[in-house]
Amino acid sequence: MSSKVLAFINFKGGVGKTATVVNIGATLVALHERKVLIVDLDPQSNASLWLMRPDRWREHVARGRRSTFQIFDDALQGKNRFDFDETLVRGVVTWTGFTDLPRLHLLPAAVELLRIEDRIHELRASAIYQILDSTLGTQFKQYDYILLDCPPNLYSTTKTAIFSADNCVVPYVPDYLSLSGFQVLAEQIIEMREKFAPYLPGRRKPNIGALIVSHYRQSGNVFRLAVNELELSMAALRETGVLPDSAILLQPCIRHCVRVAESTSEHLPVILYAPGSIGAQDYADLTQRFVDLFEGKK
Amino acid sequence: MNYSDLASRLSQIGERLAKQANRLEGEILGRSAGKLASHLDRFEEQLESHLASRKSREVFLENLLRSPTSKKHLTIALLKKASREVSAKRLKSEDLAAAKREFIKLMHGAGKQDLAVEFLKEAFATSVRVESGGKDKALLQREFIRLGQLLDEEFAKEISSRSIAELRRVATVNGIRFTDKTDRQRLTTLVRRYAQRAAFNLPAARVPSSRT
Repeated sequence: MSSKVLAFINFKGGVGKTATVVNIGATLVALHERKVLIVDLDPQSNASLWLMRPDRWREHVARGRRSTFQIFDDALQGKNRFDFDETLVRGVVTWTGFTDLPRLHLLPAAVELLRIEDRIHELRASAIYQILDSTLGTQFKQYDYILLDCPPNLYSTTKTAIFSADNCVVPYVPDYLSLSGFQVLAEQIIEMREKFAPYLPGRRKPNIGALIVSHYRQSGNVFRLAVNELELSMAALRETGVLPDSAILLQPCIRHCVRVAESTSEHLPVILYAPGSIGAQDYADLTQRFVDLFEGKK
Repeated sequence: MNYSDLASRLSQIGERLAKQANRLEGEILGRSAGKLASHLDRFEEQLESHLASRKSREVFLENLLRSPTSKKHLTIALLKKASREVSAKRLKSEDLAAAKREFIKLMHGAGKQDLAVEFLKEAFATSVRVESGGKDKALLQREFIRLGQLLDEEFAKEISSRSIAELRRVATVNGIRFTDKTDRQRLTTLVRRYAQRAAFNLPAARVPSSRT
């Protein structure tokens, strides 16, 4: 199977980007026997802190050295200090003190990433776009899926992720503010495609492949109507060419589940922490649809 | 600690022990070594069993049967079908937990863990691929927007010609919840309200004049 690089993006915060990346990644490994790399590009380091205990994470990424920060810092300094094998965290440490999901790998983030945005414009735009791809491109080949967890903005770090990606996945919460932001996001992706085109000869240009709804509640009309409005908007954006025809809303919607929230404190994906919970079930079903979509099965 | 760290630690201890073996003595150290040896026996046994079952995919089959997908989609009927189709044997258990154990044992005995995994994965995948709302969904969603864009008098005229069954279909597909007791008037109000809202919120849609 060829590697699939997917950027999880949304410039709105709190839409479940990290939860989606962590839990789909873990489910791909646990139930589909895939090898997965999660690349944390968010200075908040939420994916890293979800999968690593804070003391381990602090020690691992001290001064940003063994983190994704180093990739960007190298590009700025013209150096080559990033060491993939040293930076990589393999598997998830469970309550036993030993690792599980050995085929789930993580390149952790560090708060030092915050500094990157101020300095990155010292580089040419084309050089910025290619930072991730040129550093990690060859490493990506050893994985089935590479999931890029982006910060909640469309600044340079996110752009490098979109440039590297075959597809973008948009986590979404069913409310009007997300809906209005989604249209802007879709338009921005179109603009980026144009800008990236000269540097991606013979390669698929990134586009929105799927939307994933999180924080869904089944009570009353509220969320059903909001999801329907999202579907209506997607249809309208497809008609105007802003969204590709292939972009779909992946089902099922991820229901609100306290066990998922709790699993962040345990530093485990929900499939390990509470495999019987509705959160784990929703992510399991969603991951099946994810595999169907990105591996072209249905 | 991960398994590589443990391996290095055991190697280091082994090396040190080998070098100093002839100088070690005393009851306290001996008791501790005895405990370690018995723990190592148990660990070795579990490691061997894990590696053997991993090779045969028994572990994956067990994990699959314990997974969230299994909890949601596995029925005793499906498990019985899997047993019949994969190994041509019938499961005797009528309780799901017992049937799972019997299934694992049966597949292990027949060496068909691989086929069992494939069968169950495909069956689960089929269960997950739910219908996306029927073939009329897109049509009824477009209709919903159109209704939302009508002026009040246009909407009233349009709706008067519709049966309650048609209204219910539009409402259902577009996420409006109602009960059997919801009458025509209430359903019309709900459809009007939410269709207008959808039209209003739609990117670049024509905003109905009654809402401006």
